[in-house]
Amino acid sequence: MNGQAATRVAYRRGAALVPSARGSRRILAGAAALLLFTIGAFAPQYLANDFLLRLADGGLLLGILALSIAFLMSQAGLVSLGAASVYGGVGYLFAIAMSQWYLSPLAAIVASMVVVTVYAAILGALIIRTTPLAFMMLTLAAGEMISHAVLLEGLRDYTSGADGLVVSFGGTLFGLEAGDFANSARFWPIVWTAAWAIGSAVWAVRRSRLGAVLRATRQNEERMRFSGFDTYGPRLAAFVLANVIAGACGLLHVLNSGFVSPESLGLGLSTNALVSALIGGTATSAGPLLGGVIFAFAQDQFGAHGLTQLLTGLAIVVFIVLFPSGVVGAWRDFAQWIWRNRNREAG
Amino acid sequence: MLEIDKLSVSYGTVHALQEVDLEIAGEGVLHGVIGPNGAGKSTLLDAVSGRRRPTAGAIRYRGQDITRRSVAWRRRRGMARSFQRTNIFQDLTVREQLSLVAWRLGDDRISDVIEVMDLGDYLEERAGRIAYGVQRRVDVALALIGRPQLLLLDEPGAGLSAEETLRLFQHVRDLVGERRIAAVVVEHDVDAVFACCGVVTVLDLGRHLATGVPAEIRADQRVITAYLGSAA
Ligand SMILES: Nc1ncnc2c1ncn2[C@@H]1O[C@H](COP(=O)(O)OP(=O)(O)O)[C@@H](O)[C@H]1O
Ligand SMILES: [Mg+2]
Repeated sequence: MNGQAATRVAYRRGAALVPSARGSRRILAGAAALLLFTIGAFAPQYLANDFLLRLADGGLLLGILALSIAFLMSQAGLVSLGAASVYGGVGYLFAIAMSQWYLSPLAAIVASMVVVTVYAAILGALIIRTTPLAFMMLTLAAGEMISHAVLLEGLRDYTSGADGLVVSFGGTLFGLEAGDFANSARFWPIVWTAAWAIGSAVWAVRRSRLGAVLRATRQNEERMRFSGFDTYGPRLAAFVLANVIAGACGLLHVLNSGFVSPESLGLGLSTNALVSALIGGTATSAGPLLGGVIFAFAQDQFGAHGLTQLLTGLAIVVFIVLFPSGVVGAWRDFAQWIWRNRNREAG
Repeated sequence: MLEIDKLSVSYGTVHALQEVDLEIAGEGVLHGVIGPNGAGKSTLLDAVSGRRRPTAGAIRYRGQDITRRSVAWRRRRGMARSFQRTNIFQDLTVREQLSLVAWRLGDDRISDVIEVMDLGDYLEERAGRIAYGVQRRVDVALALIGRPQLLLLDEPGAGLSAEETLRLFQHVRDLVGERRIAAVVVEHDVDAVFACCGVVTVLDLGRHLATGVPAEIRADQRVITAYLGSAA
């Protein structure tokens, strides 16, 4: 009894100390993030040439797609192989909404995101209850169906089959013209801001009650139900959110490239994004984003030697064996190790 | 509190429970269920808690037929259970899992549960890293959150020593008495059951054999032949 009372007092004293220390650290971290964001948004345009910027734009887009996959992996334990079908599909929707339904660019964006949300909700409702392996195969199947649908003869008027669609718009969108999105230097701050916004949103969800429920469900779904939780709704919400991220990323892509083709829907892109997520690590927001950039630059280097496939394969094996929690995960472990050793020496 | 009416459960061709009738009336009384291995004790709790659909029969809880209700529905209305094979959140700390469940069930007094199950020293430990006996207590603690009306415990003493089992039973008996709730405890340690339960039911080969106060059960000739014979 006495021991417990003492513990309680100690807790209380700790409680008074911890938040202030944590609070100041939080302000510091916030300031550092703000600085990094500002420098990152403007510096590359002055330092990098067009080629490098184009590579970075593509890498960050891949990173956002990887973040969508990583979020579902780390929170719900589900691997989706259909991310690209949403990413590319939203590009087609955007183009069709403007050319066939005569919507303004902004209305076309809203319409295509609504379609993606409804699609994800219906698909998710059907497949979220299955086993993780079945889920993976079903996302693959749904994605392949969409890739084949755009090649259908009957839809040729809408999709132009294998040729792909040129996507452009007149007037302005958020005060920018089509040419601004296509310009690598002007697109960089846009995709950089989007990556930060989406990364922060994912970070917030992870820390929210929904994130806690998802992770506990991933660990022990049965005990969650026996604790009064609905385990279906939260996982469906996570699936829809992952698809909305993939959709937003696809819109950025189509605005930037001004073109959408069956390649942007394919399994190849989904697996590239998955690999990027594994390279960076799935547990954080920064991991997959960084993973996408690393992947894009590495592919470019490997391509220069004409050995893209071989070196990519090798890099994947090395990364997964040496850094199972990805670059950011490994960096985090390393920083924690340093911190602990320093504290041990000090204390 | 709970009325079980001609309940049958089959796993394919195995008839784990056959037309079992049972009433759990008692407020403040621990109701023990004993019987040899494979008698259908766990199956009974699975059916009552919604883990397994009965093949026939009905379950009424607080006057309402709940045979087809979901697990989560039952839990939110005060029916809680623990598991024979520890079923907790291995990667969460003890505090994290207790507070998550408390949040869902709107229980703002987990300190009571922590005290009753004596988990104060383990709150910040990941559940997968603590001793097995303590994990068993976490399993029971998860069932105690939200002030359940009906508590179903499946061999809470599994893997514990005889004294630990007895102590756990005494804890649960006191709790049930204090809160005036109903509780069903499955256990094959008959000594603990006879020491702490007010009513005892014996199952054998999926059938209801007898229900009564411990003294009656001990003296029941059918029970002695089927089960206690070898032990007594
Ligand atoms: N999931 C299952 N599949 C098939 N048979 C099962 C399953 N669970 C239990 N049984 C069988 O049902 C009978 C009752 O089991 P159970 O309820 O676990 O008994 P007890 O808890 O009394 O030891 C046993 O014959 C057991 O082999
Ligand atoms: Mg059993």
